[in-house]
Amino acid sequence: MSDMGAAAIAALDYDAELMLRVKDGDGTSFGVLLEKHRASVIHFIYRLVQEQAIAEELAQEVFLRVYRSRSSYEPTAKFKTWLFRIATHLALNWLRDEKHERGQERLDDVSADLPARQVSDRRPSVEQELLYDVKREEIRRAVAGLPEKQRAAVLMHKYEEMEYTQIAKVLGCSESAVKSLLFRAYETLRARLAHMGNT
Amino acid sequence: MAILPALLLAAMAGGQAKCQQEPEKPTAQQILENSIDRWNRMSPEERERELAKLPPARARVIRQRIWRYNHMRPEEQQALRERYQTFSQLSPEKQQIVRRRLQEFRELPAARQPIVHREVERVRLLPEAQREATFNGEPFRSQFSPAEQAMIRDLSTYLPN
Amino acid sequence: MNCPIESREPEILVAYAAGELELETARALERHLDGCAACRLMVADQAVVWRALDAWEAPSVSPDFDRRLYRRIDDGVRLTWWERITRPFRPMPLRQALPLTASAGLLLMAGLLLQHPTPVAPAAPAGQIVRANQVERTLDDLELLRHFNAADTDQSPHPDAM
Repeated sequence: MSDMGAAAIAALDYDAELMLRVKDGDGTSFGVLLEKHRASVIHFIYRLVQEQAIAEELAQEVFLRVYRSRSSYEPTAKFKTWLFRIATHLALNWLRDEKHERGQERLDDVSADLPARQVSDRRPSVEQELLYDVKREEIRRAVAGLPEKQRAAVLMHKYEEMEYTQIAKVLGCSESAVKSLLFRAYETLRARLAHMGNT
Repeated sequence: MAILPALLLAAMAGGQAKCQQEPEKPTAQQILENSIDRWNRMSPEERERELAKLPPARARVIRQRIWRYNHMRPEEQQALRERYQTFSQLSPEKQQIVRRRLQEFRELPAARQPIVHREVERVRLLPEAQREATFNGEPFRSQFSPAEQAMIRDLSTYLPN
Repeated sequence: MNCPIESREPEILVAYAAGELELETARALERHLDGCAACRLMVADQAVVWRALDAWEAPSVSPDFDRRLYRRIDDGVRLTWWERITRPFRPMPLRQALPLTASAGLLLMAGLLLQHPTPVAPAAPAGQIVRANQVERTLDDLELLRHFNAADTDQSPHPDAM
């Protein structure tokens, strides 16, 4: 797709067409794009930074930048690729800033947006809830333990079903580098989570 | 022409009366407002400015806690706001007593919490004389530890309904 | 089919575990899996990972997300009054914007001559600024009250702490 002209890309990518309308002053098209991509951007950033409030703040910044750059927008790639490049950039910057602020504290040591357990709960159904929470915590930690680019690649591949070429454009690397990132990431996740197949 | 100054004076008097007009009575929602409601009304920039004054980790936790509060079930949040409203109207000394006892309650073994809770709710409904008799009675002293007795006494006296 | 692990192309196993392969390719791989324990194990483990990631739900989006975003967009537009005139936020077709832009140009020149200061979005009145530590104390008290409320075994305690 990189060899295709902007007009060709816009013709194939309806979102790019909408963004071109935003460029022309059509605010309604911005609303359509927001409605379509809001949840996936927030969820993607949430799984990256693992804090919902931060995810929403960063997602606000993503859409703010999309809107503010409307006058210079050119569909050189799929709209979603561009959108997730902004989102990944902001999220990874935040992670690096947080890591610097927290020093040795590891993200996978922080229990993020998980419900705190009521000590007084003793009903049987709560045990199932506890088991679910433990599993979810394990998944969260496993993903949080991945290096940031591997984490981003897995999230785009798994939850956004993006192709290697798209992920490569988002991360600014080659397709073979993406394959390598994903291979190492899934290898780590298999090592940490494969035992769940026994429960 | 002499009328003009009189008109001006009258206008000023009227304006002053308007300024001294009794402010609108707060609505039921406004009565239940707490600092988190006021926080939510601040702009994102104002909120971030305030949070930036705190260590980043602490600011992060506060953001999360506010998010959770804002996403409580509406009926649960409303009930909590009403109870907090009454709590916040206690004197600072009584608030501190209640706060300390609630913290101690939280540290009770899980099995004891519902028992102490029920006793607080039961005793709270008693007339004062009967309440004192309960506290001085043998069943109460034998069923509850000294720490629990102090908890029940203070919470039933001060904790808002 | 060559062994994906030995030929260093394991991504096909990941795709298979995710159900992404085309039917013919999947069948060819399955014939290989019948005789390759290493690939079978990797596929099985990858399927577990896939199901685990499926189970990781993200929280729902705040209902006021859009409102806050549009407010930030509006605040950004109001930062400079001449920008507001020359680049209107309210959407309009280009054919309508052109004459407005021309008029705005004249106003822009007038504005520059007057050296109009840049208006800044007004902050909340001083009395309405709440300190973060004040909010934190309120959250602490709310949590204590909520915990006590929920201690009754007849009630359903909300799993989320504040």
